[in-house]
Amino acid sequence: MYLQQFQYESPETVGDLSLLLSKYKERARILAGGTDIIPNMLNKLYKAGYLIDISGIKTLSGIEYKKGKGLTIGAATKLDDIEYSDLIKDKYFALYQSVKEVGSPQIRAMATLGGNTCNASPAADTPPALVALGAGVVIVSRKGRREMLLEDFILGNRVTDLKPDEYLESFQIPDVQPGSAGRFGLITLRKAVEIDIASIAVNLAIDPKTKKTEDIKIVLGSVAPVPLRVKKAESILIGQKPDDAIIEKAAKECADESKPIDDIRASAAYRRHVVSVLAKRTLNETINAVK
Amino acid sequence: MKKIIKLNVNDIDYEIAVDHHALLIDVIRNSLRLTGTKKSCGEGDCCSCTVLIDNKPVLSCITLAAACEGKKITTIEGMENKDGTLHPIQQAFIDKGAVQCGFCTPGMVLATKALLDRNPNPTRDEIKKGLSGNLCRCTGYIKISDAVEHAAKLLQTR
Repeated sequence: MYLQQFQYESPETVGDLSLLLSKYKERARILAGGTDIIPNMLNKLYKAGYLIDISGIKTLSGIEYKKGKGLTIGAATKLDDIEYSDLIKDKYFALYQSVKEVGSPQIRAMATLGGNTCNASPAADTPPALVALGAGVVIVSRKGRREMLLEDFILGNRVTDLKPDEYLESFQIPDVQPGSAGRFGLITLRKAVEIDIASIAVNLAIDPKTKKTEDIKIVLGSVAPVPLRVKKAESILIGQKPDDAIIEKAAKECADESKPIDDIRASAAYRRHVVSVLAKRTLNETINAVK
Repeated sequence: MKKIIKLNVNDIDYEIAVDHHALLIDVIRNSLRLTGTKKSCGEGDCCSCTVLIDNKPVLSCITLAAACEGKKITTIEGMENKDGTLHPIQQAFIDKGAVQCGFCTPGMVLATKALLDRNPNPTRDEIKKGLSGNLCRCTGYIKISDAVEHAAKLLQTR
């Protein structure tokens, strides 16, 4: 399979990147790892007259943690750098769990966190975990910078709020609350190079004295056009001591709120059922992980 | 549109003109005539096209040649020793009967190199995870895992 012609640009600074984007706008696509873009251009799902390779811009990748502020991950950070980061495995385990599921070792050596979000496949692994961790995104253009919650940035199947002259600069993830834990779970047919049937990310904090859940986010993946926050399930758990009955009720709510489709991997009915199993399992895992 | 790029492949510098839209695998196979790297699915799913770029395993069928300037590329041809004898990983694949049609083998060997560089003593499970992208239609994978275990031992005693 061969690509149709395009012009390849490789800016070395974010200033040059902004200039190229404001010049070419809709005619250009940003190339980071290429693991979504190149296959989609090979099968003619995506077109581009100009491909702007950002892998040479050092400031767009990196993992930085500051106590009190939290985690900053550059959009062009490779997934395997996140997979092998001791800091992320230690403090943001749900993100580590979601990243290590993507594709294959080769894909993780090429793909980027920003690309996984901006491609915005409903079945992407990292967005549910990032949303559950309260991630925000920083978006830049020649006109300036803006920030928003990742939850609001992904708008639909392969649609984000990114304008044609903008690029995603970084993810900002709040610092870990004491007494909290996060976990990611998924259901797949194969163990690698697979697209999830359903996924879930849970992040919660439990008050050490009262043992009641004081903060929680539950996010489903692959069962809606976007990462789906199940606020109704969250409200079942919040302010309560988590017990089997409450978890069962919240898991059922997750299944009821999910909007899965029938496709080649699974039926909507199966997905809906498996969401309740996955939710129960992951909620229990997360609660048990709270130290 | 063409671009003149410098590619470092197996420690040799090449200066070639490539189309902006040329894929690394096509440049390796057709321009450099290094046909050890195989194109099987051509869309990043089977990992037959695995090469090492700066010692990391990547998929040459979905990598642009133009994006590889200034990087160190290793293909299967670069695995053998300077005197022409086989790298211990290659020898282990032969010794353990892990090669049938041989089409997946270059990708498997390079994925193994990347795995053992990072984790010189992997468990069986870690081997399966390290090679989880590489598909084989012939062997059923067991002898390939045996070969990686054996290669790990050979490399540790080297």
